[in-house]
Amino acid sequence: MKPIERGIVSNYDLRKPGNKVVYYMMTLIVLVMVCTMLYPMLIIFFNGLKLNTEVNSFPPTFLPAEWHFENYSKAWGYINLPLFVRNTLFIFAGNMAVTVLVIGFAAFSLSRMNVPYKKGIQYFFLLTLFIPPTTYIIPNFVNLRDLGLMNTFWALWLPAGANAFFLLLIKSFFDGINIELFESGRIDGASEPRLFFQLAFPLSIPIFATLAIFVFSTAWNDWYWPQLILSSDERYPLATAIYKYVINVRRLDLNLRFAILSMITFPPVIVFLIFQKYIVRGLHLGGVKG
Amino acid sequence: MNQTTAYPISPLDSPPKRPPAKWKKHIWGYLFLLPAVVIFFTFLWMPIGKGIIFSFYHIDFVKGDTFVGWDNYERVFKDPEVMISVKNTLYYILLGILIGFWIPIVFAISISEMRRFQGFARIAAYLPYVVPFVVLYGLWRWLYDPVGPINAVLTRIGFDSVLFLTDKAWSMISIVIMETWQSFGSALLIYLAAILSIPRDWYEAAEIDGAGVWKRIRHITLPAIKNQIILLFLLQLIATSQGFQTQYALLDGGPNNATLTYALLVVRYAFTRQDYGTASALGVLMFLVLGLLAVIQYRMSNKREA
Repeated sequence: MKPIERGIVSNYDLRKPGNKVVYYMMTLIVLVMVCTMLYPMLIIFFNGLKLNTEVNSFPPTFLPAEWHFENYSKAWGYINLPLFVRNTLFIFAGNMAVTVLVIGFAAFSLSRMNVPYKKGIQYFFLLTLFIPPTTYIIPNFVNLRDLGLMNTFWALWLPAGANAFFLLLIKSFFDGINIELFESGRIDGASEPRLFFQLAFPLSIPIFATLAIFVFSTAWNDWYWPQLILSSDERYPLATAIYKYVINVRRLDLNLRFAILSMITFPPVIVFLIFQKYIVRGLHLGGVKG
Repeated sequence: MNQTTAYPISPLDSPPKRPPAKWKKHIWGYLFLLPAVVIFFTFLWMPIGKGIIFSFYHIDFVKGDTFVGWDNYERVFKDPEVMISVKNTLYYILLGILIGFWIPIVFAISISEMRRFQGFARIAAYLPYVVPFVVLYGLWRWLYDPVGPINAVLTRIGFDSVLFLTDKAWSMISIVIMETWQSFGSALLIYLAAILSIPRDWYEAAEIDGAGVWKRIRHITLPAIKNQIILLFLLQLIATSQGFQTQYALLDGGPNNATLTYALLVVRYAFTRQDYGTASALGVLMFLVLGLLAVIQYRMSNKREA
């Protein structure tokens, strides 16, 4: 361990005035960046507390002149938020189950079971990574329609199992588990499903936790695709409902609009602040494999 | 891998069996693969294949599909909006690089140098990335409002106010700024991790040899993160060339088609004009261009791991 932390700039450099100016400039830029990041985040929340006239005033204020917490209770009643949250959680739970069972099983087989023609099967999965999703968005829609899955959760759940990127991540995690573990399990007479559920899955909780964050953020964020394949309030996830009833309407008061928006912003922000470590790791996985 | 021990050993009291046939030995392996194979086929390969077929058909959900040969492709090449959308998409990609691409690199280097509050700056930068898109649309519509906060600052320091969304010259730029604000944090974290893993001794040695701060950045830091730069560049190209959701949600391609991207035109052909055949043809053409990019990206990311 070195006694003094250093980066590109050393402590010795900092004693020179020229470098010092550059260093403070850099710090200042970062500070400005932090403000431009935090201002819009906070303004969502504060705008939700203002009177509608204050949100529309020019120049805009930052802190509310009066704090109107009742906006939030009004906003709560504006659309059926619990229903849409429930739908979102439904979609998340189904997608996650499919991810674990379908992709997890396949990854286990490819990683640990040495089936003949493994290479070919792997290509069958991984070649899909080369096909950008937007290029087949229309046939994908028509296909789901032909299969009669329109306006069902299955239209979201089942395709969640067709994710080559997740397959790759899980497989490389399984590859890292000591092979002797499975062999001794086999010698002791454990069946393959049991090896998966009692060895591979529990040992791979970190990767599945990371994937859960990916899957959750997709379920929470995705508004466009669900809007195409679902067509009733009973099934819309939160993001789609917000788009249809909050973003895309003109009549709604701005302060109530912001109150709703801040209510759906805070859950993911809080989840992020708690699970930061896993999320950042997941991001690196994303960066490594694209 | 050592396969001899992988057999389940039969209980001692059962009669000795012939060694199981090859398929029997692997039956679990294939059973495990089966659901994924079915799902990948049904929800990825089938739509992909259907896309190519549909591009030669006129799709009608009521009367049934009719084969029309190259008609859909002809329509694509005759439609002036296709040219507009290709230009807009290229402009969007270019703006993404000019405005968005270098920012995470600069901030990653700056943040890596901070002696204090590094963690805080990192979280602040990433925070917008967890904001749902729909919130983003509501928020930025207000920020970009003619009487919104950005214009308030602009008029305060003596500029004319700007119609960020409704001015043709500004609309695409506004979208790119908004998306950069939201997503640069994720790129920043990838760069930051790479920068922080550079051995400190290299800087030490460079400093002893008399290299200034700029020289150290140019000759040590940037070369060390070269692979990340190339990879994220390709990823950004692939992402922005498919972009349409923000353009659709904020402006629906307007004003006057200024934000009509290629992917948005695909969606418009399908869901506004109900012309799924031509939309599929547009998708096939898009694939021919983007598939190439994806292959390059794949080879790059593999090279990096080797």
